[in-house]
Amino acid sequence: MEVQKEAQRIMTLSVWKMYHSRMQRGGLRLHRSLQLSLVMRSARELYLSAKVEALDLETPSTPTRCPPLSPEPMDTQEDEEEASPRAAETLARCSAHPARVGRKRRSSSLSNGVDAGLVPSKKARLEEKEEAEDASSEVPDRLLPPPAQAEGAFPNLARVLQRSFSGLLNRGPTAPPTAPPARDAKPVCRPADPVLSVLVRAVVAF
Amino acid sequence: MAGAGGGGCPAGSNDFQWCFSQVKGAVDEDVAEADIISTVEFNYSGDLLATGDKGGRVVIFQREQESKSRPHSRGEYNVYSTFQSHEPEFDYLKSLEIEEKINKIRWLPQQNAAHFLLSTNDKTIKLWKISERDKRAEGYNLKDEDGRLRDPFRITALRVPILKPMDLMVEASPRRIFANAHTYHINSISVNSDHETYLSADDLRINLWHLEITDRSFNIVDIKPANMEELTEVITAAEFHPHQCNVFVYSSSKGTIRLCDMRSSALCDRHSKFFEEPEDPSSRSFFSEIISSISDVKFSHSGRYMMTRDYLSVKVWDLNMESRPVETHQVHEYLRSKLCSLYENDCIFDKFECCWNGSDSAIMTGSYNNFFRMFDRNTRRDVTLEASRENSKPRASLKPRKVCTGGKRKKDEISVDSLDFNKKILHTAWHPMENIIAVAATNNLYIFQDKIN
Repeated sequence: MEVQKEAQRIMTLSVWKMYHSRMQRGGLRLHRSLQLSLVMRSARELYLSAKVEALDLETPSTPTRCPPLSPEPMDTQEDEEEASPRAAETLARCSAHPARVGRKRRSSSLSNGVDAGLVPSKKARLEEKEEAEDASSEVPDRLLPPPAQAEGAFPNLARVLQRSFSGLLNRGPTAPPTAPPARDAKPVCRPADPVLSVLVRAVVAF
Repeated sequence: MAGAGGGGCPAGSNDFQWCFSQVKGAVDEDVAEADIISTVEFNYSGDLLATGDKGGRVVIFQREQESKSRPHSRGEYNVYSTFQSHEPEFDYLKSLEIEEKINKIRWLPQQNAAHFLLSTNDKTIKLWKISERDKRAEGYNLKDEDGRLRDPFRITALRVPILKPMDLMVEASPRRIFANAHTYHINSISVNSDHETYLSADDLRINLWHLEITDRSFNIVDIKPANMEELTEVITAAEFHPHQCNVFVYSSSKGTIRLCDMRSSALCDRHSKFFEEPEDPSSRSFFSEIISSISDVKFSHSGRYMMTRDYLSVKVWDLNMESRPVETHQVHEYLRSKLCSLYENDCIFDKFECCWNGSDSAIMTGSYNNFFRMFDRNTRRDVTLEASRENSKPRASLKPRKVCTGGKRKKDEISVDSLDFNKKILHTAWHPMENIIAVAATNNLYIFQDKIN
């Protein structure tokens, strides 16, 4: 749970940093964006694997019961999903085989057998339920549309951030980091993931 | 190394005893962003020291000749020339502002009385000529002393202008402007040993230029994927080999270095050598990928080795061995457990540089709290020193500093949590022949000299 919270916090922080890096003088920095998206990917994988573990601990016969989750991780995940240039509408498509839809969307250019373990059907169904819960609580976008500063290389970032990040921000994410560096992250060793999912690459590439 | 309580180490041939020499820059606590030094570079003789800052200015210091009348000056560096190299620009097509911050300065070898250097911001490289003028022509026929044209009817005699001495004036003029060749942000420039060409590298491409030609450059490396979604690494630094004009290296954000030979093909997308150290699985953590990104790569003066700097360490590689570095020096290993906090305050993205001394026996790099680290490759000793105004009496020896990593903090040690992460030393330079170092601490430039020197 601790791990999950930490991963969630880092995901939120990464999105915040990405958003603010667009405001910097000199425009979006490719290297910085790449690094932020790498961290976000790691955090997301960590979060998912921690979530899977948490689910496994509960009774496996009631997959539809979702543990109480704050809206924040949803938004961040939603953010992640939508960062893919392949349409985000597939997420809303709550078909009978959500897992397969998810996998199909992600693996259009690679074989993703390894990733299957991280996208279990349980998780997909959970997402779909949480999607429904959350759709109603989407805060209207109070932020100004991003200025026309999007670099040619990142056309999707503007749409992504405009649509979904506003909700995240309005829920009060972590404040700009001003606290002295006193907190340590537990270095979590996880097995190396040799195959990057297309979704991840989408995030990386923006 | 100088001991704290007077008990010095036995002086070995490679032991340095660093002393404060000078500090340049404002003392104000309030640092203007434009004054933050962004690059430091000695020229080939070491007589000139150039700094670039975030405001686009270049300041060049010149070493004074040692003279009997002022024996204590011992070759001090004083301001020689200051000029505005780059101005902020606006890219109208992308609606982006282009920062004027000077990313790198590289000197050209001196060929005549004038000095030449290349300075670059994110998008444009400029060749500057710095020349002295200490004579002035007087007694023109057609002009008055103040430059106005004389009335032709008043000219009744012919005379030849004569040269008269004047106060030394140092002029900087832009001789070439190499623009519009980079889509992404320029991170490196490197002058070739042929003294005719140079390379410039951005996140995805490396271009080769001729110093005389500004409207064309050759693209020699292009790692941009056809589909940007497949981007996994970027170029972080590049440098030409000091002697072999066909060889250059470039480092990546994944911690790899590629050596390329321009004789093998026009487009050097395929490397000749690939340097990568296998990752230690036990040290793998959440931020492993970020901290393995190489922020600087420098060839040794001999050309036999190269050095790379990543977030926590400095590695020396033998060009003949691609499988792993021959030396690894930990700069501030105590930060490994603080990576999450350093990610929060953005310090984990800091790009530290590194440098060799003239004989390649020692290497230096910066850290936080205005600390910088030196590693002696022969004696395997390392030292942590601090650039601070408190320790700035002339010729005062620098006391080695120590960071307490845990447990009981000894008297002169500083604990990791007390380190000031806003005081970072990213840029350092070592005189090409003597033991003089220049250390940039935010908006101040410190110069230290070796006592034995």
